[in-house]
Amino acid sequence: MGIRWKGKGAEAKALADPMSKIVSQLKCSLIEYDSRGLLSGFSVLIEANEEQTGLFNRTCFGRRNITTEKDKQWFQLSMEEAFYLSYMLKCIKVVGEDNCPTNDDELWKYAISKRNNFPNLFKAYSHLRMKNWVVRAGSQYGVDFVAYPHHPTLVHSEYAVLILSVEDDNSNGRLRVWLDFHCTLRLCGSVAKTLLVLHIDKNCSAATSPSCLESCLVEERTVTRWNPEQSRENQTTVQKEPSN
Amino acid sequence: MEDDERERFRFYEERSDCDSDSEGYVEDLVDDALCYSSCDIPKLQLRKDVSKAQWIEELGMAEVVEKKGKMWTTTGIVRDGKIYCSIEETLFLAEIGALHIVNGDDTYLSLKDLYEKIAIGNDGYGSSWESFEVYRHLKSLGYIVGRYGVPWTFKSTKINSIAENGASELDGTSCNGSRHNIFITEMFTNLQFGEVKPMFDVYLPNSKFKKSSPGSPCFLLCRTSDHPPSKQATEDLETRCKGHHIKFCNVEHGRVNFFSFNKVELPILP
Repeated sequence: MGIRWKGKGAEAKALADPMSKIVSQLKCSLIEYDSRGLLSGFSVLIEANEEQTGLFNRTCFGRRNITTEKDKQWFQLSMEEAFYLSYMLKCIKVVGEDNCPTNDDELWKYAISKRNNFPNLFKAYSHLRMKNWVVRAGSQYGVDFVAYPHHPTLVHSEYAVLILSVEDDNSNGRLRVWLDFHCTLRLCGSVAKTLLVLHIDKNCSAATSPSCLESCLVEERTVTRWNPEQSRENQTTVQKEPSN
Repeated sequence: MEDDERERFRFYEERSDCDSDSEGYVEDLVDDALCYSSCDIPKLQLRKDVSKAQWIEELGMAEVVEKKGKMWTTTGIVRDGKIYCSIEETLFLAEIGALHIVNGDDTYLSLKDLYEKIAIGNDGYGSSWESFEVYRHLKSLGYIVGRYGVPWTFKSTKINSIAENGASELDGTSCNGSRHNIFITEMFTNLQFGEVKPMFDVYLPNSKFKKSSPGSPCFLLCRTSDHPPSKQATEDLETRCKGHHIKFCNVEHGRVNFFSFNKVELPILP
């Protein structure tokens, strides 16, 4: 696949510490402490002890809130991250204003009420996380997510991810006109990421509960620009062209 | 690379947009500056080896009557021992001064006449200005470009299975069929929204290219309507053109852009 490691020793470090293992450690720690996240707007705030702080950082879940509190840290989880930890990994509980844990369906409906595209967002997020890719926000690049094969300090990102729901004409979706392609590819190109489009089953957006997601298919396609000026020297088959 | 191609390439190198990373913005400014400056416009060299062809209106092609230069190994289709050029090939060679074209009555066809021919609606001899821009861009860089579904020679229909795979309107195997059918495929009838159609077979630059056994093209270049292809259209096309790598092109404001939409499967990481 051609993972671009940052510096010597990065690859060895990553191999010694597979992401699945670190995530598993995070899961165990959160379960052990019966961790609860506080639902707030479209984020979930969660307390973390020292060990959990390290694990959140190493698995790239959440963003740390910088505070002067000494003995514990606060992390802010995105809705997809929180839902992944609570529904897929079952290692946190999310509580609402009444201090009661929400169940999966309640949280699902809440998330949809805030972003009606949440089912697609979450399906894409969990599709990649389940394969042990690190998934972070991509809005600064004009895309939904950015996916790394391991921790961002060890690797450069591989993919800028855009989610397309397989509607009949995609009239409400992204990449509707050629200019959208030019724009997104330009952005991706300047940060050396390949554009990855995730086509999500149209049933997903209508999912009334997270259990509907399991049957939704996700198809992956890369969108790359081909530069005829550069490719002539490469006399091998075109399929082997490097990703832009 | 042939002389004429090298020349053309130099011309395009100065004009074409560079795609690399953060330098992109600077390159664009330079490109536009060159485009719009009134001095130092790159010129193509006049050549002494000029071929001659006769435009045959009923075919919408030019029949080569005097062959000069090495470019004929990669340009034009062979029928009954003669070479015929599509409108885009004709226009390309005319622009670089490699071909003189005459009418049936031996009157000279100017570049203007040829531009007028290609401008005839969407059916301009199976071509369009945009498709010519694509053809010219690739040909100038040394690629070998043929119309999708049109065999380079009749012998090659048996070796090269492209015409059989594609849904071309070509009646290739019947020598008794109308000559019009044998030569021209309708590339450029209006496409429906999101529809895609293969347009050119593209081969990598190859000094040993043989029309009698061209091999498989490097990729099929497809045109789309002014909207990008829908996922369904892309998949249908891939099924239809099984075994061939596919690229899409989009032309706007004189710039030709190429895209690939490759199915992938991200690996499950450790």
